[in-house]
Amino acid sequence: MEIFNYVFMQKAFVVGILLAMVIPCIGVVIVLKRLSMIGDALSHTSLAGVAFGLIMGINPVVGAVAACILAALGIEAIRRKLPRYSEMSIAIIMSAGIGLAGVLSGFVKNSANFNSFLFGSIVAISDMEMFLVIGVSLTVLLLFLLLYKELFYIALDERSARLAGVPVKIVNFIFTVLTAVTVSIAARTVGALIVSSMMVIPTACSMQFSKNYRQTVLYAIGFDVIFMIIGLFAAYYLGLKPGGTIVLVGVVFLLFIFIGKKLLGVKG
Amino acid sequence: MNKTNRTMKAVLFTAAVSAAFLSGCGQKKEADNSGKLSVMASFYPMYDFAVKIGGDKVNVTNMVPAGTEPHDWEPATKDITSLEKADVFVYSGAGMEHWAEDVLKTLKNKNLTVLEASSGITLMKGHEYEEGESQEAASEEHEHGEFDPHVWLSPVNAKKEMENIKDAFVKADPENESYYQANYETYASKFDELDKKYKDTLSPLPNKSVVVAHEAFGYLCDAYGLTQMGIEGLTPDSEPDPARMAEVIDFVKENKVKTIFFEDLVSPKVAETIAKETGAKTEVLNPMEGLTDEQLKNGDDYFSVMEKNLTVLKDALE
Repeated sequence: MEIFNYVFMQKAFVVGILLAMVIPCIGVVIVLKRLSMIGDALSHTSLAGVAFGLIMGINPVVGAVAACILAALGIEAIRRKLPRYSEMSIAIIMSAGIGLAGVLSGFVKNSANFNSFLFGSIVAISDMEMFLVIGVSLTVLLLFLLLYKELFYIALDERSARLAGVPVKIVNFIFTVLTAVTVSIAARTVGALIVSSMMVIPTACSMQFSKNYRQTVLYAIGFDVIFMIIGLFAAYYLGLKPGGTIVLVGVVFLLFIFIGKKLLGVKG
Repeated sequence: MNKTNRTMKAVLFTAAVSAAFLSGCGQKKEADNSGKLSVMASFYPMYDFAVKIGGDKVNVTNMVPAGTEPHDWEPATKDITSLEKADVFVYSGAGMEHWAEDVLKTLKNKNLTVLEASSGITLMKGHEYEEGESQEAASEEHEHGEFDPHVWLSPVNAKKEMENIKDAFVKADPENESYYQANYETYASKFDELDKKYKDTLSPLPNKSVVVAHEAFGYLCDAYGLTQMGIEGLTPDSEPDPARMAEVIDFVKENKVKTIFFEDLVSPKVAETIAKETGAKTEVLNPMEGLTDEQLKNGDDYFSVMEKNLTVLKDALE
């Protein structure tokens, strides 16, 4: 097929499908923990990290990862203080992140540098980024499988997880760091929009069908891979911006699922 | 910059101040204490031309900071207050400074001489992804984004912009007319030289197609018989669409384009992706929308950057 004649499209498919398999794993837990907006919050905060890195002469990717980890831990800390309003913690960290990024960007001398670290695009991925994504994806997948049961407990109900003897603090910490690293790397590579939507939309679709946690995860991965493939094809053959296209494919799917279920009279 | 010694400066300063006093209330423009004409320039080329014409008779401020891409820039409050105090505001126009018209409407500064430096230049339609055709500007009021704003990249147009700036300075500060006129003539001949050098260098070269990051070089290409293939349209920094990238890649392969040009102020990621795919190399072709701090420190200006552009163009088209 013509579309696969281009190396940049091949890379887009490799990285896209890989992330489509990894991000919903995080996404399902995030959604169940009522932290759906964490992707946005973290990707915005990573801008502050990039700016800080450029100003201090540290590698901006390292800066972004560090800022994301700090922000994610911050969200966890605030969430524990205000357990019933976990979405507030995200709003607080997100505004702090955007504010900090805005102020710091004023000190960045060369905006080209800044831009190139902020905006990733799935059709312009360098080799280094591809290997980074592959590395991060494998790590996430491995840890997700190792901590599968623990994460399941925590996602459903932290208190009973604690009672059941799950080391909630440690698992939460690992998961938070994992989320932060994934978001910062993926947002830099394929764009923040794709990352934050990939956490939530496939999970929302999958929850319409799944009967248990395992199904939710598997269906979410399935949906996301489908969105990614359709999105990339559509972007290529219709000449659309890939980031937006992939997100909209997901939203349209979700819409059709809602309508379809309504027409068939299936209960959600 | 001219290196006037301190006494010279002091003399000039006193002269200017006394001139301001002598001319009395009629000339409220010399309100700032240096007695020099205070000029706000909308971005780098305007700044450079204004400095070259005004020399030590003017204080020029470049509104867009070094290293910033001006397409997305908007004035902050302090820029508006500076405009309120300024004598002359120079902007290139033709849709380059999307904020200019709105800001000008809100200004209360009655003494401000406003100059759209591109006035009198034949503007090209800004077709995305197409070679622009020359077309007369039908009216003064340009529809936003209708025209290709990058007029200064052809030396002939740049000369015209500088002439407009000279006229505006003469209007705001008639006493120094001969000074401005002399400066203009010095640089006008430099523009002619540059134009001739471009013609002589580029016309014998076998290849005529350049691939650029964003289509800023319409006027330059038009003047010297080149065609530009832009990865992006007239403004940089939007997400590239894959169909367009595939098209550019095919074009590069078919026409054996050796160099993909990108810009200092825009992320080179897409240019690098295409270069990697086609085996071409990447090189900076500067649309001079702004210089970086480093370039300013090295003493780069319009002419030196245009010379560099010519060198890389020559390498790419040989």
